[in-house]
Amino acid sequence: MQAVTGYSLVRRCISHLILLCGVVIMLAPVVLIVLSSTHTTQTLQQQGLQWVWGDQALQNYSRVLAFEAGFFDQVTPLAMLQNSLIVALGVATLTTLFSLLTAYAIVFFEMPLAKWVFWLVLMTLLFPLESRFITTFQITALLGLINTHVGIILPVLAAALGTFFFRQYFLTLPKYLIEAAILDGAGPWKFLVDIILPLSFSRAGAIFVIAFMIGWNQYLWPLMISTDDSLYTLVRGIRLIGQESGPGMALVVITILPPFVLLLVFQRWFYGALSSRV
Amino acid sequence: MANVQLNGVRKTYPNGAIAVRGVDMTIDDGEFIVFVGPSGCGKSTLLRMIAGLEKITEGDIKIDDRQINDVSPADRDVAMVFQNYALYPHMTVRGNMSYGLKNRGMPKAEITKKVEEAASLLRIGDFLDRQPNQLSGGQRQRVAMGRAIVREPKVFLFDEPLSNLDAKLRVQMRIEIKRLQRRLNVTSIYVTHDQTEAMTLADRLAVINDGKIEQMGSPIELYKNPATLFVASFIGSPQVNRLPVTFDGQNLVNGDLVIPGFTGLPQKTRLVLGIRPDDLHQSGDGQFTLRVDIVEQHGADNLIYGALRGTEENDADDAEFCFKTDHSLLPALETTLQLGFDTERAMVFEQESGQRLL
Repeated sequence: MQAVTGYSLVRRCISHLILLCGVVIMLAPVVLIVLSSTHTTQTLQQQGLQWVWGDQALQNYSRVLAFEAGFFDQVTPLAMLQNSLIVALGVATLTTLFSLLTAYAIVFFEMPLAKWVFWLVLMTLLFPLESRFITTFQITALLGLINTHVGIILPVLAAALGTFFFRQYFLTLPKYLIEAAILDGAGPWKFLVDIILPLSFSRAGAIFVIAFMIGWNQYLWPLMISTDDSLYTLVRGIRLIGQESGPGMALVVITILPPFVLLLVFQRWFYGALSSRV
Repeated sequence: MANVQLNGVRKTYPNGAIAVRGVDMTIDDGEFIVFVGPSGCGKSTLLRMIAGLEKITEGDIKIDDRQINDVSPADRDVAMVFQNYALYPHMTVRGNMSYGLKNRGMPKAEITKKVEEAASLLRIGDFLDRQPNQLSGGQRQRVAMGRAIVREPKVFLFDEPLSNLDAKLRVQMRIEIKRLQRRLNVTSIYVTHDQTEAMTLADRLAVINDGKIEQMGSPIELYKNPATLFVASFIGSPQVNRLPVTFDGQNLVNGDLVIPGFTGLPQKTRLVLGIRPDDLHQSGDGQFTLRVDIVEQHGADNLIYGALRGTEENDADDAEFCFKTDHSLLPALETTLQLGFDTERAMVFEQESGQRLL
């Protein structure tokens, strides 16, 4: 091993030390939240966040699950979870689908303006949602999408990143592939379904996970576009229950869980997409 | 089984680049035609126009007397073998070979039968359930050919199919392609820049230069009787020896070198004398004195390279002469050899136009 990599033992130890530092920095806040969620609100408010395991885990979590808020008590953790899932899955699915189709059109079809379309799409990266809230709100209102899931999802579809990602990948595919498919009698639809989709599967998985996170973590936009309690997502719900409380910490932990599980499930594809095996 | 006709075929790209400048050709049923030429000469473009992967700017192409200019590539009934194999990486060998048939709505049982027949013909029957990345280069090439064969097309198109293989495999596959084509007796068009491949495979070959056909004919005809300097230089290995000369009414002259035995050539124009390395022989009263520079031993033959005595200094490549002889002649370096040639077998070209004069 040493001969292959050319790394001495000392250098390898240093590398690992640096990586370990990274792990600690990344992991510490998560551990802090999990541990703090096992303490009483009183402890947290008086002594700050806790680095040791407390005895209030059961109480905190059961209180969160039984929590009800809103005018008609319709804001429950389950309802918020459902809203979060609708928004995140909607954003993830549509982002993946649209960016794949856009990139497919840009790369494989001889459109006169393909290049400009691509740069136009890419330019949206320069204008994040936060920088165009007012116009976006006006348009959403005009479309009658205030207080709807669709209204929360549509403006978040950050397709530029996905489009760029897929475009770069499609450009690496040999040109012969599409020509062979043409001679094999595959039209644009068949080529997409039979060749491009199977080849892009792992990459689509990666984009899906990233878009899911983006959708899941939306805070400001849902806050602006929805006044209806029944549209509360988990991320927004934390505020209701109080950040510096034991149950609040428990809700934060619950909020982290779904994206975490998703990441675990998609991990294999993630690696595949990054190491580009095809 | 089909003939192919090209009438005044031209290709101009939108940026104004001209790839093909008017090609007329008739390819007979079952014939094996090779397009050969240097890279960028338009041979691949021509093939791709027949396949339907490039639009035809002008002229028309007919397969079996049916004009196919505006027929979609899939409906032209041609199959193509690509340089990079172009196998679908996520499909098995079987999937790759059956994809085209599936798209044409052939019943499953028939597809299975056809794929297996083709696989046994190409000896890839054991790999049918493997993915392309589990195959060697030669096996991938066979799969690519299998994908073409199962379609039972009217015309096979090969776009430099062997250029990704190593030298030994290339010779093997070359023989196999030839055998396969004989057996299936399907009209085939094969593009290559390798003159050995061209010579060995073709029934007739078309030497293409700068978007035009320089000459078309059987390999041996082109070797023995090239119409232009380009064809003479391109066909034959080692390359034909070229000596820039002028004609003084009786002799060809280059510096102090005077070669008698020629008549009827124009004076005051620059000419090129072409002599194949195997048309030279050792003789005491030969026309040339060769100063030996390098001896390449190829086993059965030796190639002796050197400069001709008495010639004017030209650029190094043209001045280098090659003499092909058997392995017993092994002169020391820097010695001289007296070489002669039969003037009947010498070729004289006009330098400017490259046209053969004699």
